Amino acid sequence: MRFWALFKRDVLVAWRKKSNIYQPLVFQLLIVTMFPLGLGAGAQTLAKIAPAVVWILALLSTLITLENIFKNDYEDGSLDVYVLSGMSLPTATLSKAAAHWLTTGVPVILFAPVIGVLLHLPAQAYAVLMLSLLLATPIFSLLGTVGSALIMNIKNGGMLLSVLIMPLLAPVLIFGAGAVLETTLGNSAFGHLMLLLGCTVLSITLAPLAAAAAVKINLE
Amino acid sequence: MTTALLQIDQAQCQRSGEWLFAPVSLAMNPGQLAVIAGPNGSGKTTLLEALAGLSLMASGQRLFNHSTELKQWLKHSHYLGHKLGNQGSLTCAENLQFVANVNLTTVSESTIEDVLTRAGLAGYDYQHASDLSAGQKKRLALSRLLLLNKTFWLLDEPFVNLDHAGCEWLYQVIEHHIKQGGCVILTAHDQKKIHAMAQHHMNLEPALEVA
Amino acid sequence: MNRIVKFYHEMGSPPSFYRITSHWLKPMLWLAIVLTVYGLIDGLLMAPTDYQQGDSYRIIFVHVPAAWMSMFIYGIIGISGIITFVWRMKVAEAVMMASVPIGALFTAVTLLTGMLWGKPMWGTYWDWDARMTSELILLFLYIGVAGIYSAYEEDPRKAARLAALVAIIGLVNLPVIRYSVYWWTSIHQGSSVSLMGGANGIQHWDMLRPLLVMALATKFYYIYSMLARAQTYLLKTERKKQWVLEAIDQQTNHNNPAGAK
Repeated sequence: MRFWALFKRDVLVAWRKKSNIYQPLVFQLLIVTMFPLGLGAGAQTLAKIAPAVVWILALLSTLITLENIFKNDYEDGSLDVYVLSGMSLPTATLSKAAAHWLTTGVPVILFAPVIGVLLHLPAQAYAVLMLSLLLATPIFSLLGTVGSALIMNIKNGGMLLSVLIMPLLAPVLIFGAGAVLETTLGNSAFGHLMLLLGCTVLSITLAPLAAAAAVKINLE
Repeated sequence: MTTALLQIDQAQCQRSGEWLFAPVSLAMNPGQLAVIAGPNGSGKTTLLEALAGLSLMASGQRLFNHSTELKQWLKHSHYLGHKLGNQGSLTCAENLQFVANVNLTTVSESTIEDVLTRAGLAGYDYQHASDLSAGQKKRLALSRLLLLNKTFWLLDEPFVNLDHAGCEWLYQVIEHHIKQGGCVILTAHDQKKIHAMAQHHMNLEPALEVA
Repeated sequence: MNRIVKFYHEMGSPPSFYRITSHWLKPMLWLAIVLTVYGLIDGLLMAPTDYQQGDSYRIIFVHVPAAWMSMFIYGIIGISGIITFVWRMKVAEAVMMASVPIGALFTAVTLLTGMLWGKPMWGTYWDWDARMTSELILLFLYIGVAGIYSAYEEDPRKAARLAALVAIIGLVNLPVIRYSVYWWTSIHQGSSVSLMGGANGIQHWDMLRPLLVMALATKFYYIYSMLARAQTYLLKTERKKQWVLEAIDQQTNHNNPAGAK
């Protein structure tokens, strides 16, 4: 199947250039070191901001990887190869998003507890933290394909990409970081997680279409 | 009513809203070669991309088997552009494997080895594409044509970067393909030999200002 | 009925759009100026003082119409974006791109007046209440549409189609964003200050009248400014076409009739 062909290739490429995989994690580690240095290392202060910081770091570290989703393929011409193979564009973008999620989203989910520990995130929040990231990282990848497709043939499009998708990520951040925060306060995060799930479903249905449209316009 | 396999009527392309060249037409039958010629910036690549189905023609149409449907056309054509489409961090064999998979053809490892040998890349199976020389990269891209059994080849400046032996090889490949009933559309300048082989010559001339 | 259809078709073609709307510019501008002057005098000098907020509430006569326009114009951008995207209509493209700077300006004015008003009300220039936050995100959406267009400026057709796509994505997401932001503040804060309802809402006709006048004034200003910009946009992107040359000829002849011989 074409979906798997492209998916397998992308995962293989990411595996060959391992920096793609560990770069976001190193980024998170670097930034998280700055918080105690800037705020003072008081465990209470850190624990208070931990839900938001863990989440924002996950988001930002993914954001820096998005630009290249389509850009590399566009520049070396392999985009032409799979577009002209007769593969439908939404399938192609969905496949790109899936591969990006596996190589960036999954490591970010698995790494989040480490950041949580460094920030004294209360013990009861870890399950919800990982669950919320499990729902949200696919959104990052899907919106990433849209943003990356929009900027694929402009130089230094990273800033523009952030401007384009940051407003779209605002609800995700509200629901996701909110879910973790509610848990640390001892409340139920069910409502937050359900709304987040809604966002995930919405992105899976709409983002491939938007990304496909962007690719098409860019090739015309 | 014409019966040509590929019929291009009054094709014209635009760049940034400006017409690039006067309308061109073409009727191609199996076993033919067409050369698109014109000075730099005349729109050869744009035309070829539009013919391939990558971009849209601003006016005119492409009839393949009497139909404008894109799917059938993509099934029977392969486009090779300036950007070669090799993934640098994959090996030559993996590159070909991906191209085959995404085109829904299953190929065995021995087929890939055979194709690479024919393209003059014997023994490079496990070499990363980024480690190849410019000419070898071109050969790797051209080897896709041998791998995929497509009737129409659309080649943008296929002779660029190839050494003398490479050019000779490519002539043979094209000649062989045409003899087998295939069709080739390519852009080239200063290739007398290819012009001599071609049945169709499309010269791109500047578009007249349309009022 | 026929005339409406004909009008609709004419507005779809750049030359007739240019010709027809040329006559509208001046009246629109005058309406906007007169209404603004009247609205400001009425609002700032005549309307009664609010019994709770004193005179500081008077900023709403600028703030509220600007806020309405910032939403309204994004709606227009989204709709003309859909038309641009689906039917590739040149005029819709012009309307869309002409609306972006105006909408962004109204959004900025809303934020600025909101901050000025926030100082006496909340004691701080900025508070992360739902309205202000979603208005700020709206500004990002405007910047996104303008940004993608300017990144592709050398190819205006492609730039406009991509900008249209961004506008449509924004339009689809706007309800989600607003809902999430309102929901977020409802959890984290008690309540935000309400302009239009509740105890400190507007009850007097004397207060409502200048507000409505100002709302009309901003509408007319928008129509004027948008049409003027859309005309420039069409002249610029169609500069090779015959009708543009004719239009420019006419303009020069009109301005110095003696010069045309």
